[in-house]
Amino acid sequence: MMLLLPAFLLLVAGGLSRAQERSATHPAGKNPHLDNRQSIRSGMALYRVRCGDCHGLDASGYRGPDLVAVLAGGATDERLFETIRKGVAGTEMPSSDTPDDDLLMIIAYLRNLGTVAPPERPIGNVENGGRLFGSLCTSCHRVAGSGGRLGPDLTRIGAARSRAALVREIRTPSEWVSPAYETVTLVTKDGQRIRGTKKNEDAFSIQIMDVRERIQGYLKSTLQDVIYEKSSLMPAYGSERLNESDLDDLVGYLSTLRGVDVSVR
Amino acid sequence: MRALLMIVMVSVTLAARGASPAAFGRRCIPPGCVATRSNTPGILARRALPAGRIAALGATPDLHHGLLAAQEAAAPQVTSQDLLDGLKDPTRWLTYSGDYNGHRHSPLTQITPENVNQLMAQWTFQTGTLGSFQATPIVIDGVIYITGFNNNAWAIDARSGRQIWRYRRNLPEDLHNCCGPVNRGFGVLGDRLFMTTIDAHLLALDMRTGGVLFDVRLEDYKVGYSATVAPLIVKDKVIIGIAGAEYGIRGFIDAYDTQTGKRAWRFYTVAGPGEPGGQTWPPGDSYLRGGGSIWVTGTYDPQQNLLFFGTGNPGPDYYSHAREGDNLYTASLVALDADTGQLRWHYQFTPHDVHDWDSTQVPVLGDLTIDGQPRKVVMFANRNGFYYTLDRLTGKVIVAKPFVQTTWAKEIGPSGRPILLPGNLPYEEGARTCPDLGGGTNFMSPSYDPTTRLFFVTARETCATYFAFDQPFKPGEQYMAGGTVRPRDQRNFGALRAIDPVTGERKWEFRYPSVSSSGVLTTASGLVFAGDGDGNILAFESRTGKNLWHHQLGFPLRSTAGTTYMLDGRQYLLVPSGSVLTAFALPPR
Repeated sequence: MMLLLPAFLLLVAGGLSRAQERSATHPAGKNPHLDNRQSIRSGMALYRVRCGDCHGLDASGYRGPDLVAVLAGGATDERLFETIRKGVAGTEMPSSDTPDDDLLMIIAYLRNLGTVAPPERPIGNVENGGRLFGSLCTSCHRVAGSGGRLGPDLTRIGAARSRAALVREIRTPSEWVSPAYETVTLVTKDGQRIRGTKKNEDAFSIQIMDVRERIQGYLKSTLQDVIYEKSSLMPAYGSERLNESDLDDLVGYLSTLRGVDVSVR
Repeated sequence: MRALLMIVMVSVTLAARGASPAAFGRRCIPPGCVATRSNTPGILARRALPAGRIAALGATPDLHHGLLAAQEAAAPQVTSQDLLDGLKDPTRWLTYSGDYNGHRHSPLTQITPENVNQLMAQWTFQTGTLGSFQATPIVIDGVIYITGFNNNAWAIDARSGRQIWRYRRNLPEDLHNCCGPVNRGFGVLGDRLFMTTIDAHLLALDMRTGGVLFDVRLEDYKVGYSATVAPLIVKDKVIIGIAGAEYGIRGFIDAYDTQTGKRAWRFYTVAGPGEPGGQTWPPGDSYLRGGGSIWVTGTYDPQQNLLFFGTGNPGPDYYSHAREGDNLYTASLVALDADTGQLRWHYQFTPHDVHDWDSTQVPVLGDLTIDGQPRKVVMFANRNGFYYTLDRLTGKVIVAKPFVQTTWAKEIGPSGRPILLPGNLPYEEGARTCPDLGGGTNFMSPSYDPTTRLFFVTARETCATYFAFDQPFKPGEQYMAGGTVRPRDQRNFGALRAIDPVTGERKWEFRYPSVSSSGVLTTASGLVFAGDGDGNILAFESRTGKNLWHHQLGFPLRSTAGTTYMLDGRQYLLVPSGSVLTAFALPPR
């Protein structure tokens, strides 16, 4: 049985990295299962039984939130542990009396699933990759507070995406478009066309960020047409626009983007 | 303090009782009269309460005589006959679906297709608690009774939206429930309200105070039993069902005495060894974990004295090698004798379900002419994606047709058994099937308009990749043995659909950008009310599906599209969404 109730897991993205906030006294502060293959397998088995129904077997969310996004957003292991232990009041997320060790294995599994370890050696020329990023990408993507807002913020993308996924998203961005960045063109009654990414929608209204980064809602009754485009607003960077060497450099740069500390001291 | 409370209560109840009949140009003067209906639907008459009935209301000896008399006289009384009459008295909404037949169709006509766009919010009530409503509000003589998240419950003044009392339950911290501590509402008889609880109890509350009159343990919540249904009151019995199939429980439908709370009968939705249907489970004790939850309130046919309940999925949900066989009476419709709980007939929609497709939708009872013959039918839009019209006397299939995209069965064969398509069994490597585990529809109530003979249902267009893996059973732990993943290329959406129950054909639809879990409500003026998945309550013309009105509530409706009733000469539409209750009406004339 499935009641389709939203659970609001309050795993708010913090600015601190996992390592920085890890406490020596908290059980999750010294998780012996992180990066241990056997523990990760056990964690997967526990996750499937206890968490998978709500959060999806791939942790990308169903009734409950997308945990991959939660992890990529900077949730700490301590926060994860406490949320699993205590549950979230007023939602479907229950508390758990499971032994600490089981919780730590689930966290090890999720960390393995949702984050990408830094490569042992830098791939490509990171410096050139940074230059390429500055010329090709920053009009739409933001890193550490600077850049455009039309596409996703890439401040943590290196921790969230594998190299293969980054390559795919650069070469063929329209293969899959995240629901938060679907392309729409609105046609007003006087024929004006407004293109942008869809932020929200119901039967009567639509909310977008247009290509000039204006966020705006429109009543559908005032529009002539709403065109849902299949392709991403991001152009495909095929080998004619970005050769293999430059692609390596760009991906090398992206894989260094693992979050910043935004706390003010 | 107590005396002060009494004065408040008396003034509220006096105000309430004066107003309902006034709505129809008459006035009920205390003491000793209650609003009742005449032979003409919608017209209220007055009737004096016999002295014996006043005494039966229950005297509290230490109260002042005058106050006592006034309160006794004003006590809301709901009789078995009132429940049989249902919405014929349109000042009241007394049972989950409004009427025993499950139509959710009000005879009210003040709000029409022409004026519905003038509906305005009259008041809102905020629970101040987390979690969203899934209850259908009960309305009795100017007072609203509604249950909420974590078994909170309220009595609310229907004129002003002000709270009269609140019930809070001290729930244990070690609850096990799959789908949130939701509740679908009260049942009512006499001056008692009945509620099931998420820790698997049945409560009777005093309608005037919210005080607990009895508290019956249904089963052990520690091993996963829970209850969310609104009780169905039939004669002197409270009919409820248990939930918890995701924890390896054995489901049942119970009847309890409304006065004593003593159990009258139990029907197990999972047949045991040696019982009829027991052969559809493998030898051993897998039936003890066989599931068969009751998530949604059933319906009642007084002529045949039959209860109709849809039953939940078998357990474990996905990996099914430990439960070879059809697994009766899971994913079925059961027709039970209301006095004894004896099974009269059953129809299994999804034999040996492996997709978590509970058949716990509301069975809607109707009379149709099919091939020139008058037929007593049950209309049922199932989570498995098929719409069915069944013979109410026999359970035989008359019509079965998909109402959403379905990829698991080619059709329902002449024997009533689905003809399966290959490639839909979930295993380790996964199998993509439509609909997803949420189903073609789910716990949300449909509605049937007997005038247009249209059946309205909130439909979900979805697919999922299902996985199944072996899992040992441990009491108190989830026992699903699998799960699902939404394919990345899958774009789900929802729709309100009108189905002709004679043919199973779709007459019209209104699409929602996202899936919805809202119920549907119809009125005799030719209106359909429903909610989308994005927080709107919408009104449609029932014959055409033309959208006439909408209002953004800020949170989607779940289970219900609310209720409608007359008060002070005005028709109200009462809509629970999120933790807010909103009352709409036309501007006063």
